[in-house]
Amino acid sequence: MSIDLTLVGQFIVFITMLLLLKKMLYVPLNDAMEARTKKIEDGLAAADAGLEARAKAAADAAAQIDEAKAKAQEILAAADKRAAEVKEEAVQKARLEAESIVEAGKEELAAELNRTQQALREEVADIAILAAERIVGEELDAKKHAKLIDSVVEQGFNAA
Amino acid sequence: MAAEEHSGGIAEHLQYWTYSFQQDLPVDERNPFMQIHIDTMLVSGFVALLILGFSFWLKGRIVEGAPTGAQNAVESLVGFVNDTVRDNFPVHNPVIAPLALTIFVFIFLCNFFDILPAYLLGHVAEGLGAPAFRPVATNDLNLPVAMALTVFAMVLYYEFKLKPVHFVKDLLFQPFANLLLMSKNPVVKLLGVLIIPLNLILKLIEEIAKPLSLSFRLFGNMFAGEVIFLLIASLLLVNNFSDMASMGGTISEIMGLLVGLGWSLFHMFIGLLQAFIFMILTVVYLSIAHQPVEH
Repeated sequence: MSIDLTLVGQFIVFITMLLLLKKMLYVPLNDAMEARTKKIEDGLAAADAGLEARAKAAADAAAQIDEAKAKAQEILAAADKRAAEVKEEAVQKARLEAESIVEAGKEELAAELNRTQQALREEVADIAILAAERIVGEELDAKKHAKLIDSVVEQGFNAA
Repeated sequence: MAAEEHSGGIAEHLQYWTYSFQQDLPVDERNPFMQIHIDTMLVSGFVALLILGFSFWLKGRIVEGAPTGAQNAVESLVGFVNDTVRDNFPVHNPVIAPLALTIFVFIFLCNFFDILPAYLLGHVAEGLGAPAFRPVATNDLNLPVAMALTVFAMVLYYEFKLKPVHFVKDLLFQPFANLLLMSKNPVVKLLGVLIIPLNLILKLIEEIAKPLSLSFRLFGNMFAGEVIFLLIASLLLVNNFSDMASMGGTISEIMGLLVGLGWSLFHMFIGLLQAFIFMILTVVYLSIAHQPVEH
């Protein structure tokens, strides 16, 4: 157990080994480990970014879907409203048409009634003249006794 | 008689294979420093070549992708050393982690030679004509001292490089003078100045204790371990086959093997622990040298 020149030899061995081990093993191995760590970190960061982008895309898609649904609801509501309006218009138009048809029918009916009444009146007048001629035994002049006949017929209609 | 033979055997085994550079002088007149332990140099050189050869082999096979086999194992070790340094070091210094790795691996592999049977390499060396052979290089004080002094030199280098004024002030004024010099009393101040040499002595002792404790801790543990191996082998293992045939000899042989095996396992753990302690203390001492000055 003595300190001697072995100490110098051990200095040389140790320092040489330190320098060579650093150069041949530590630095290349550490570089490889750091490169791998960086690659893994980059990968994880990219994965995180991907997840974030996916979440953002999902959120955007959900927002767009919500917006589209809202828009669709608006369109449906507008369509419903428009359909109701069209329906109302159609009903209104149909009602007007029906009323006009009824009105026209009434007018036509009234005209027909007038015509019938007129024809009846004329026919009754002729019959009345014929009856009166039979009763009085002479021919009545239709033009001459028209006023009288009409008043009789009128009275008859009114009485009826 | 047997004990005397054994103690002689142990003493002989604790001799180094020495070469003196003063062969022309009588043994008594030779300077003990002018000699070299050939066995220590051979074993440490072999371990160094083993490590460097492995490093050279591995260097060409390093991949950046998923590591396998040897690279995986060495990466675990490098990662462990890097973590240890990162946990203890305030700043990044590219020299510290390789230094810690070298210390750990070198000491551990040197210690590992203690797994060989106690007298084996000595007898082999004797058979080859060498006067003695000690297989564990860390048992030679020269190796731990060389490493500890290297670490100590680095500590001094970084202390002077990073905070020279603070370090000199520490040497001169800590622990006593600083307090005395801050006093307003001129007598106390004078006492503070007078006590500076005492501070210097205390501080130098404190600094020198670092490499001393580093080297003697490793040397002492490994040397004691080797002596215990030799004692187990000498006291419990029998010398010849006729002794082994007797009941006592058989029991002694079995006990020797069991105790030897137990001590081998424990000593391997100590070897690993000592390598780790040397490494962590190196990192801590250098970390202290890198600590920023507190104002």
